[in-house]
Amino acid sequence: MANMFDAIVVGSGVSGGWAAKELTEKGLRVLMLDRGVMVEHGQDYEFDGAPAFAVPGRDMMPPALLESDYFIAKHGYVAPSTRKFYNNDRLNPYAYGEGEKFYWIRPGAVGGKSLIWGRWSFRWAPEDFEANKRDGVGIDWPIRYDDIAPWYDYVENTIGVSGSRENLPYLPDSQFQPPMQMNIAENWLKERLEATSPGRKLINARLSNITEDKPEHGRTKCQYRNQCGRGCSFGAYFSTQAVTLPAARATDRLTLRSDAVVTSLEYDSATKRVTGVRVVDANTGQAEIIPARLVFLCASAIASTQILLNSRIPDSGTSHFDTSGTLGRYVMDHIFRVGVSGEIPGFTDYIEYGRRPGAVYVPRFRNIGGEEGVGFRRGYGYQGSASRSPAAPEGFGAAMKHGMRQYGPWRFSMGAFGECLPYEDNRVSLHADRTDRFGMPLMRFDVTFRDNELRMMDDARIEGEKMLRAAGLSNVTSGRSEHVPGDAIHEMGGARMGADPRQSVLNKWSQAHDAANLFVTDGAQMASISCVNPSLTFMALTARAADHAVKEMEAGAI
Amino acid sequence: MNIDRRDALAGMVAMFGASLFAPIARAAATQMVPISDGPPIVAVFSPQQRALMVALSERVMPTTDTPGAIEAGVPDFVEKLLADWALPEDRTPILAGLDAIEARSLADNGVSAAMATPEQQDALLTLAMNDALPGGAAFFEPFRQIVLTGYFTSEVGIMQEREYLPVPGRYDGAYPYAQVNKVFSS
Repeated sequence: MANMFDAIVVGSGVSGGWAAKELTEKGLRVLMLDRGVMVEHGQDYEFDGAPAFAVPGRDMMPPALLESDYFIAKHGYVAPSTRKFYNNDRLNPYAYGEGEKFYWIRPGAVGGKSLIWGRWSFRWAPEDFEANKRDGVGIDWPIRYDDIAPWYDYVENTIGVSGSRENLPYLPDSQFQPPMQMNIAENWLKERLEATSPGRKLINARLSNITEDKPEHGRTKCQYRNQCGRGCSFGAYFSTQAVTLPAARATDRLTLRSDAVVTSLEYDSATKRVTGVRVVDANTGQAEIIPARLVFLCASAIASTQILLNSRIPDSGTSHFDTSGTLGRYVMDHIFRVGVSGEIPGFTDYIEYGRRPGAVYVPRFRNIGGEEGVGFRRGYGYQGSASRSPAAPEGFGAAMKHGMRQYGPWRFSMGAFGECLPYEDNRVSLHADRTDRFGMPLMRFDVTFRDNELRMMDDARIEGEKMLRAAGLSNVTSGRSEHVPGDAIHEMGGARMGADPRQSVLNKWSQAHDAANLFVTDGAQMASISCVNPSLTFMALTARAADHAVKEMEAGAI
Repeated sequence: MNIDRRDALAGMVAMFGASLFAPIARAAATQMVPISDGPPIVAVFSPQQRALMVALSERVMPTTDTPGAIEAGVPDFVEKLLADWALPEDRTPILAGLDAIEARSLADNGVSAAMATPEQQDALLTLAMNDALPGGAAFFEPFRQIVLTGYFTSEVGIMQEREYLPVPGRYDGAYPYAQVNKVFSS
């Protein structure tokens, strides 16, 4: 395969798919590699549209298999209908039981987490890019909102984001398709909550589920089935398969290899350039080195960091890409395990027709523009929905059976996602002597939540209860369970961006300080994590980096 | 990731709340929809226990204007769930309850509970529900939950007892219940 490719993209998820699309559309011959199995749009969505009784029961995953092979994936909603998209935790392990407890929930298929993600899509606010500098936390972002805003426009117009225009300074609007409608109980709650908790908002979800067809991409609007994680043959939500892969293939310049495990990058220290990637065929175990002029590392925050760490100077434990000493550090995840719910009075003549894949959002209200003395820094938002469950009469027999044809009251539930600060000693590293079946050193996690995160979780619970009570909900309850880092599946950091090569792995173009032809455009690059869902920002940064990389190539700088 | 998980079992979780029977909780935690198909991996019931389980499942979810538990295939589901999803200690109260009901029926009715009349079976189930026979309450609620879960994840439960919308195509958040007078399958 020597010299066949101008660029290699490692990983085919949210970021990798975007890198492949942008680079091929700009004229490069691209090889995209993914460690997982092949999944083709539509034809490989085995359980798309299957009613519950047609989902395997015959081959349902017994608990023994769950405990032997999916003991981490089970924290990330693995099911018989989605199992093909998930990592096998036995075959592809990390250093379980060492360091601090961490759930590294990984996909195991082409498309990566784009197939199984939550699809909530938010822009970061200007405030998010400035907070580290203002608070003296971590490292200042080398970019500001204005640097990324046009790229948000671009990716939003491509993928389709449904949502409502709100003109909130701390949650910039996207280029929106019409929002998914609130139900009658949520509309009531919006009015009550905004009246009784001044300054706080309850707005429509912002989702990559489209509400208008995109015939130019062969995509049909959301059909309100709420089975996204099985793959959607309508192409109604953003995935590599539905959006970026067909675009890249349409150029005839893409080669896609599944079952291709990248273990390290080849590096020429004389020219300070990456010269290729080392790939192991997951089926045969055969290793090869594929040369490339340009490499986009998009394997996921942790996996990209692992590959960088494993690209080591001969006879040294040190990575070629760790001149700064920050590689593997400042790993973060959103706070997640706080939930609040309550009963909405009335509207009992009405129910929901159809199943939305997302409903409403309470945007961040804490510490906007500076510290407010609430005992922690940064903030959180809530994702929620109001719905009615079937009535639950007690007893047995015909009366109970027919009683269950009624609905219970409207209940509103919401869960918080909050910002975790970057800490130098929240780090991932290569295990000293344990390797996987491809010879890759296992990842070890030493990541914990600190006071700031725990206080934020307390506050999210208390404030959530207060807001719902003030709005007039009854039977308000809340819960907070242990958050194991990784739980939110929003792990980020490990190869952060920064202006100073002595303090960061990547520059403001997601480009390695130690290799001008290496770009890392997934979650690894994040120097802080805001409190909003991150994928849209990865897409925008990837498109921006690809544009820069091609310009540099054309200028002869790469 | 997605926090709004609403599949058939999640509905069960919401309905039964904190007192959820462990094997159903285990199944729901992984979004399993366990429907009986293949043979159970271990034998759970004696023939007499199985006959009683079949009869009682129908009493919990009887045939009315829609099919009951037996036509919905619930007994196979009960056996499958207790074999494949339950731990041995989960099975104990179910089997003990069946045995206690059997003993009571022999004493009260002079016939095996599986052969008793529906009215007698209802009386026995009521005794169990009210914990008025040994291990009654420990049997009743888990058994009821398994039957309901099996029923509402079956083709009968999804297609006949409830209203199934495979491809709703639109969302209406103020849909009059009176237009359907049923619960939509999740």
